[in-house]
Amino acid sequence: MKQTKVFLILLCMVCAGVAFITIEKHKPTPLKFIIPKGWTKPAFDFKRNPLTQEGFELGKKLFYDERLSKDSTISCASCHQQFSAFATFDHPFSHGYNNSFTTRNAPALQNLAWQKEFMWDCGINHLEVQPITPIVAENEMAETLENVILKLKRDTAYVRMFKAAFGDATINTQRMNKALNQFMVMLVSSNSKYDRVMRGEDTFNLPQRLGYEIFKQKCASCHKEPFFTDFSYRNNGMPLDVTINDIGRMRITGNKNDSLKFKVPSLRNVDITYPYGHDGRFFTLDNVFEHYRKNMQPIHTTDSLLKNKLYLSNFQIGQVTAFLFTLTDSTFLKNPMFAAPAYSKQTILHQH
Amino acid sequence: MRKNVTLCMLFSLLYFIASAQNNTVIKLVHKVGDKTLKLHTETYFNQFNEPFTVHKFKYYITGLQIEYENGKKKYTFEKPYHLVAEEDSTTKMITLNKPLKNITTISFLLGVDSLRNVSGAQTDDLDPMKGMFWTWNTGYIYAKLEGQSDSSHAAAHYFSYHVGGYKFNENAARKIVLKIDEKSQPSINEITIEADILKWFAGANEIKISNAAVCHQPGALAMMLADNYKNMFTITAIR
Repeated sequence: MKQTKVFLILLCMVCAGVAFITIEKHKPTPLKFIIPKGWTKPAFDFKRNPLTQEGFELGKKLFYDERLSKDSTISCASCHQQFSAFATFDHPFSHGYNNSFTTRNAPALQNLAWQKEFMWDCGINHLEVQPITPIVAENEMAETLENVILKLKRDTAYVRMFKAAFGDATINTQRMNKALNQFMVMLVSSNSKYDRVMRGEDTFNLPQRLGYEIFKQKCASCHKEPFFTDFSYRNNGMPLDVTINDIGRMRITGNKNDSLKFKVPSLRNVDITYPYGHDGRFFTLDNVFEHYRKNMQPIHTTDSLLKNKLYLSNFQIGQVTAFLFTLTDSTFLKNPMFAAPAYSKQTILHQH
Repeated sequence: MRKNVTLCMLFSLLYFIASAQNNTVIKLVHKVGDKTLKLHTETYFNQFNEPFTVHKFKYYITGLQIEYENGKKKYTFEKPYHLVAEEDSTTKMITLNKPLKNITTISFLLGVDSLRNVSGAQTDDLDPMKGMFWTWNTGYIYAKLEGQSDSSHAAAHYFSYHVGGYKFNENAARKIVLKIDEKSQPSINEITIEADILKWFAGANEIKISNAAVCHQPGALAMMLADNYKNMFTITAIR
């Protein structure tokens, strides 16, 4: 009798120990989010979705997975390419399912943790619901959420990764988006030459310095440092393209005063995110400057700062361009942490 | 002796389970005027003599609360957000984990509270994959009525009412309060609530399919539809 008791107690202890070890083993590794010096507190809720190594890796796998689209040809990364600061390089519109075009220029994905609303018309109010939009859009990935979740559930690698990131193998929209968000908020670009100069680690050359002064006078009220956007929506005098009829913010609010207002885009990595404008109608920075000083068509909703257009001399355009080139952050563009999982870990031999 | 005690415990447990199963069920019945709704096949006529069929009928019941014991007690349904869909009969039977008697009021929000509209991706019945979510202009669709009508000028004569909106002046969530006059109901097994689709077209506002066949965003039309359909529920039987 006594022996049985001792045995039972021992068994309990062993069980508790095993349980403890198993729980410890399943605890994901926290991932630190570093706020660059002098930047404001991020808008992203890290308590709702704590960053972990496992969550980030899962998010990265999802971001690069073509199976999130209807015919397994398009991933998030198809239109958000790292070498273009996660915009679509050299394309006014991105290419969607079945030879379709998007109707807006894919924005760079950077410093999303500080952004409260998303898309050119800011119709999306939370980063956690943002990934649904391109997945279900007919001219993007054209897939249903049910199918995406089903595909993930059938893949044992995903089951394992969801378990590692969230503690159990439940796979649903919320968890998929939380994982994607973990990858997305880590996309911080804060190490361009401009940033190094601000930190006192580097110096501008003469054109860059002159350009910076002109930029602060002429551009910075909307393209506010350090994000190079004030996150507002404004009409900058781009006339309506009647083949698209994109009325911008008015589509969301239904308010006539919001007609043709679009989000002020960040100018970080601007050199490699061309073409420009919500519909990518400007192929070069020179096109943009010509728009501001000559071609814009102010209407009643055009921003008050631009009612008389924005004069820039040829000389000023040269200097501002030199400054804008300092916003290219090559460490961000080449960071292996953000590269496709297959490329960052192992070499895959393609056999055709 | 020990065997007897065990048996005793087992029986009391069984009795407990059996008594707990004595629940009150709310049964939702969808009607078009005096006819019971049948998807796809049946043609109905609205108040303006416009013919229509129904392909989809869905809505959210949020924060279902029942006042019972002649208004002295309140019972809140455990599931805060419940999506009712005509095509899924299980969603039309709401089992309350409590036998209720002498009910005075049944109330709920028809729609989703504004907080859930701005708090990221939700789970269960609020999972965006349920198809009651606007992806391009974040927000829940609170109620959905889709079908076809020869009076519709939209493509393939479809009509499609998706009602939602949480922002100021666009909030289409409606508080529904159903009062019960019947004096005494010593024990209730089932409460039947009917929802009449005809109420969508007339009431506070006249909405003709020929004039407005499509509502796919928050705004004036969504508000008008919500003001109409908030009167679609009636308690028809308590037994």
